[in-house]
Amino acid sequence: MKQLVQRAVEILRDTGVDYGDVRAELIRTENTDFRNARLDDCRTVETEGVGIRALVNGSWGFAACTGLNKEDVDAAVGRAVEIAKAAGSRGKVELAPLDIQQGVYSGPCRKDPFEVSREDKIALLQKASDDMMKDPRIKSSYAQLWFEKRDRIIGTTRGDLIETDLIFAQPTLMATAVAGGDAQSRMLQDGARIAGWEWIEESGIGSWGEKAREEALMKVLADESPSGEMDLILDGLHLSLTMHESVGHPTESDRALGWEANMAGRSFVELSDQGNLKYGSALVNFIADNTLPSGVATWGWDDDLVHGQKWYTVKNGIFQEFGSARETALLIGKQTSRGCCRAMNAQCFPINRQPNFYLEAPENGVTPEDLASDIQHGIWIEGRGSFSIDQRRESFQFGGDLFWEIRNGKKVRPLKKVIYRSRTPEFWGSLDGIADKKHFRSMGLLTCGKGEPMQSARMTHGASYSRFRGIEVGGGK
Amino acid sequence: MTKQGMLDFVQAAVEAAGTPDVVAVLTETRTASVRFGQNRITQNLDVFKRELQLTVGDGEKQATVTSQRIDIHALPGIASEARALLETSSSDPEYMSPVPAGQVYPVIEEAWDEFTSECPATPRMEAVGKVIDAAEAEGLTAAGICGMHSEQVALATSTGNLAAHRSTSADLSFTLDRGLASSYISLNGTAWNELDVDPAIGTVVEQVKMNEDAMELEPGDYKIILEPEATWNLLMFLPWILDARTADEGTSVFSGMEGKKMAGEDFSLSSSLMGGRPANPFSGEGLPAEDVVWFENGVLKNIPCDRFTAEKTGRPPLFIPDTLDMDGGKGSVEDLVAGVDKGILIRRFWYIRFVDQKTMKLTGMTRDGVFLVENGKIAKPLKDFRWNWRPLELFSNILRIGTAQRKAPGLIPPVVIGEQHYPFTD
Repeated sequence: MKQLVQRAVEILRDTGVDYGDVRAELIRTENTDFRNARLDDCRTVETEGVGIRALVNGSWGFAACTGLNKEDVDAAVGRAVEIAKAAGSRGKVELAPLDIQQGVYSGPCRKDPFEVSREDKIALLQKASDDMMKDPRIKSSYAQLWFEKRDRIIGTTRGDLIETDLIFAQPTLMATAVAGGDAQSRMLQDGARIAGWEWIEESGIGSWGEKAREEALMKVLADESPSGEMDLILDGLHLSLTMHESVGHPTESDRALGWEANMAGRSFVELSDQGNLKYGSALVNFIADNTLPSGVATWGWDDDLVHGQKWYTVKNGIFQEFGSARETALLIGKQTSRGCCRAMNAQCFPINRQPNFYLEAPENGVTPEDLASDIQHGIWIEGRGSFSIDQRRESFQFGGDLFWEIRNGKKVRPLKKVIYRSRTPEFWGSLDGIADKKHFRSMGLLTCGKGEPMQSARMTHGASYSRFRGIEVGGGK
Repeated sequence: MTKQGMLDFVQAAVEAAGTPDVVAVLTETRTASVRFGQNRITQNLDVFKRELQLTVGDGEKQATVTSQRIDIHALPGIASEARALLETSSSDPEYMSPVPAGQVYPVIEEAWDEFTSECPATPRMEAVGKVIDAAEAEGLTAAGICGMHSEQVALATSTGNLAAHRSTSADLSFTLDRGLASSYISLNGTAWNELDVDPAIGTVVEQVKMNEDAMELEPGDYKIILEPEATWNLLMFLPWILDARTADEGTSVFSGMEGKKMAGEDFSLSSSLMGGRPANPFSGEGLPAEDVVWFENGVLKNIPCDRFTAEKTGRPPLFIPDTLDMDGGKGSVEDLVAGVDKGILIRRFWYIRFVDQKTMKLTGMTRDGVFLVENGKIAKPLKDFRWNWRPLELFSNILRIGTAQRKAPGLIPPVVIGEQHYPFTD
């Protein structure tokens, strides 16, 4: 694959493009899916291909092919250059400066999941599925182990050459209970990690079956949500999605520039807001970190060949800086890229994506129960549920996966069909308590959709239990 | 690849598999598109893909391997990998052998346009150039995508079925902005020459102007006028959950509802081989597509059903062949507006998600154009708002349906829905 890349780079350089890169990827994915306690899908998917970016007179051309065949790659190089030239004067691309990059990055993996037998994986899922289906009121169950090995080589006409190899792992379980004319699901997962089989062992999926069953039953039999203004205790898994939608997306530079106006949307955050917009309370510190161990956006370099970095997106409640790509950095007034340019695979054009980022948790010894003890009437929410936000990422409505009502500082009864609504700065401005970092949980997301043609991307978010005051609850019935 | 070359390849894949049951599907696609934002071209793509999906079975268990190594010499290796995976698989009580021999597949030649399949760059560049020029002339900002797509599929089963199909599509969608005012349009067709670019640009430019200085919607009762794009946005969740198995499990809104009325008399939804968008003539496992009415005058007539559930329950195996048409009536959006005394005109929705799957309650936001309609005319632009609705309840309250237009899935009409009370969030 390396020779193929180097050969294509030479051909690309000979065409006289202003800049060009060749990205080859070999991705092997393994699915073991159980549905209703039977093996529903036993599958491997191997995708391989090469994507070529050519920059000519400020315009990109991108061509890609599947396979690692020399003739197909040569043809793709020709098409990339041809369509870059066809763009005429409509492109104005200027890349932020970058030193020549060369090196190798391997993601953390202690035990290669592809070396673990499929029989062991099936046995693990069979037990979890059987556990879920032990109660006849569980009408549907789903269990999955998913692994991916992704090898990537990028070479450029400048002389850059990087190689990465990453292994991703994700366990998922879901039970759906039907009772009293209602159906409710409970999903257990902490998302994906760049890690090996050790993540499956650490996750405790072996005991998730009983937990999913019991909590799905508890949920379907629970009372429906009350309505009104209440305080919320939100766990890290839940907040991973809230922050993804209300912080991650509006702080992508391409949205602020209007490049996603036709699809993923715009941002309420303006370029001039960098360094001064009040995004939340003084407790709110969002740290972007593409060096986060096991974070699913920790790739060594992004597809622009910019190294993973760590920075404050929001510090003491004040918005600091957009995540950027080389193409957008200069346009937002920065001299260098933050390394947030990634493509779904070799057949996709790299675009500005969210980094890993998380809500910084203190070392304060505060427990989630301590946070709840100061609540007269509120709701405790765990996990992810319904989610929707306006295209400017300002006005949202979220659900969750598991709920309890809080009365006078105590969890008093389980609930279902809870949703809450708020606006981004007001919501983060209402945060007045964060539990100790030992309660921190992260979630690696694999399916952030953006771009046209649509691409999915990966990033990890996390938080400790946090308390929000005076949020509008209701309407989920 | 030629059609015959693809058919030869999938037959060779079936032979190479060496297992009792095999289904091989080869797909070849080309996508060429120009993306733009901030009045500049931001992406210019030409992507070519080939992929083989090989499913093998031994009568008790099955496994699937997907590979992009499309080379006759690679087939033994892919087949060997599939057999090895099959060995590790476990028995499936729902195992189904490939569809029996003798399936007859419809031929849908209308799905292919030769010009579009060649993905020439010039027409896309010219169309995008027109949008950007118009935006700059009016002091607007343009973003969008213009693309051409071709797909060829060949399928072979170990039971002797052999099928091939090819299709093309072309699309242009763009959004024009000025400050918080915006408008959007999406043009879709099988062939590039179906896209009426110039009038679309003029329409969107005018709509942005109408959308400036938007007001908050006052609480009250309003009829809802859905442009075709918005109608489709509300319908697009139906194909995801219209499913016999989940209905039988009791987890969906369709549980126990087959043959019963779930929407109003005016709501009919179907898939036709030669519908607004030509259908895919066969499923991924080799079932032939057919004309199916899903809803007729509000009654759930048929429900997609996998082969195992079909055999178990006596239903016919059915799938949605990538095309959906909602029956339309007569009249343009403007005609519909003219008949509304007090209502809201909605162009497009955004970020629709389930609030409650069991009742198919959805939430979402409006986007790129919402207007207050008074006495048959657009009175003023409105700010975007959130709604929590059950679309089947809305479609139980249709006051009028306009002429259906070609949208992404097929023919979709504008509709007028009876009064709803704002705020729409309970």
